[in-house]
Amino acid sequence: MNVDWKILLVELILMPIVAFVVGLLLVLLMRKVRARIERRVGPPFMQPLYDIIKLYGKKTQISHGFIMDLGVIMVVGGYIAAEVFLPVPGMDGMAREGDLITLIYLMMVPSLGLALGVGQCANPNGSIGIARALTSMLAYDIPFVIVVAGAVILYGTSNLTEIIAIQQAGGLSSWGVAMMPLLAIGGLISSYAMLGKEPFELYIAPAEIATGPMVEMSGKYLGALFVMQCFQVYAVSVLYVTLFLGGGENWFTFLLKIAAVIFVSASVTTIFPRYKTEDAIRWLWKWPTGISLLGLAIVMAK
Amino acid sequence: MTEKNELPVIRPAAGDACQSESRSGLFQHAIDSFVEFCRSRSMFILHYCTGCGAIELPPAMTSRFDMERLGISPMVTPRQADILLITGYVSIKTLKRIILTYEQMQGPKYVIGICSCTVNGGMYWQSYATAKQLNEYLPVDMYIAGCMPRPEAVLEGLMQLRDKIESGAATSWEDYFKRYDHYLGKQQHLFGKDWHTPTDVIEEARHYNLLGEGTLGENTAVLEKYLRHHQELDLTRVALEPAKTNLPDR
Repeated sequence: MNVDWKILLVELILMPIVAFVVGLLLVLLMRKVRARIERRVGPPFMQPLYDIIKLYGKKTQISHGFIMDLGVIMVVGGYIAAEVFLPVPGMDGMAREGDLITLIYLMMVPSLGLALGVGQCANPNGSIGIARALTSMLAYDIPFVIVVAGAVILYGTSNLTEIIAIQQAGGLSSWGVAMMPLLAIGGLISSYAMLGKEPFELYIAPAEIATGPMVEMSGKYLGALFVMQCFQVYAVSVLYVTLFLGGGENWFTFLLKIAAVIFVSASVTTIFPRYKTEDAIRWLWKWPTGISLLGLAIVMAK
Repeated sequence: MTEKNELPVIRPAAGDACQSESRSGLFQHAIDSFVEFCRSRSMFILHYCTGCGAIELPPAMTSRFDMERLGISPMVTPRQADILLITGYVSIKTLKRIILTYEQMQGPKYVIGICSCTVNGGMYWQSYATAKQLNEYLPVDMYIAGCMPRPEAVLEGLMQLRDKIESGAATSWEDYFKRYDHYLGKQQHLFGKDWHTPTDVIEEARHYNLLGEGTLGENTAVLEKYLRHHQELDLTRVALEPAKTNLPDR
């Protein structure tokens, strides 16, 4: 394995920063799309950054103990670790060494970290929220894993850089979305659920359990969760683009594609109300799982 | 007051000692004013809506006037919020909840009183059950008068608060720490001498360097008997002894 350590080091530092900046833009896009659908003007351009700096600039602070601090570090750290496995144009990072399976594991770390941290707050809303978050993880991970398995079988590799290379070599007709449309639909639905947006917002639910896991988070803790949201939106959209939309040939098409994924998801989520926990599980295990299984069968039959 | 010094210090979240205005370097000044700017452009509101002024907030938030373009968005818990927005009359029972909520918010925090009821009691002037002036019990940054103020007035008030925060003048949240004895006295006058909240305001003031002339006094001396001293949890004993629960046997 020939690894140029200097380049790798630069990429390891640069990729999370890129993820954060692009994530800020994506969060802005989501808020803007939501505002426009509600016929509002929406937040100004720098709003996500203002929010984060304001939260980090709070002067008093409540910590509920060491485990909560550790949980928040796990939340942000898990996504930072995931970002370096997601190839962007010009930077592969660790994507050649780790693969899709590693990435799935790393993307589960933040949920577990949140569960660990919120457990110490002793706030019932937080506990309910985290129970729902883990339940919904159980619900969306089944279609998601089926989608990933289908993609791995189709491309014959679980290496993300090779998946991108195969799609870019074959042109538009070899994109994942053309080769396995059913899996692309299943993946899109489970990516909504992964973002915790409206139909599957069951663990945030501001009017019901007061933002669930975030209920006791103040100042820097909430700031860390806002940073996490940037990373999360970025990671989910880049993973979708990598698997189904041919990755990024250059930065322009790359940003265009991830913005399109988030645009579609934000437009859909804005017009839906929230599922109950049991309904969300039932729905996720019935429709996206069914569609993905059918897609998997078609892929395996080829 | 000497025995209060024996209290253990609340464990701080790392590196959050409150810096006062002693930062003088050019670079530090630039950072501080940038943070003030961000504070003024991102205000999370916790609205405490028991009065009729609440009806004017939905139009201010939704498509007609759209607060979000000013960076103002509603939040649902006191921990996350910067502004406590109190709309309308404050009954004595309500005021207890408002104080509990206010003490859970993290500074810098701001209080806005909407409607004339928070200013001087309004049409409830003669009521035995309402608190007349909100700023006797809490430091209020801004009043928006009117019965009820229209959404334009609400937004105008919020924009004035924004300018106040940007210029660094909105420091009345420190006043609650620095003159806690005064505020507590007013609260005790209304609720009785046994009034106390779970938040140890004096200890927080000490921790964040906000102890002022009026933090301690005759009213805070009453709080002494309600203070629960922090104790180290003896883990060995907890592990060895079976937990006693009040659950009924199945």
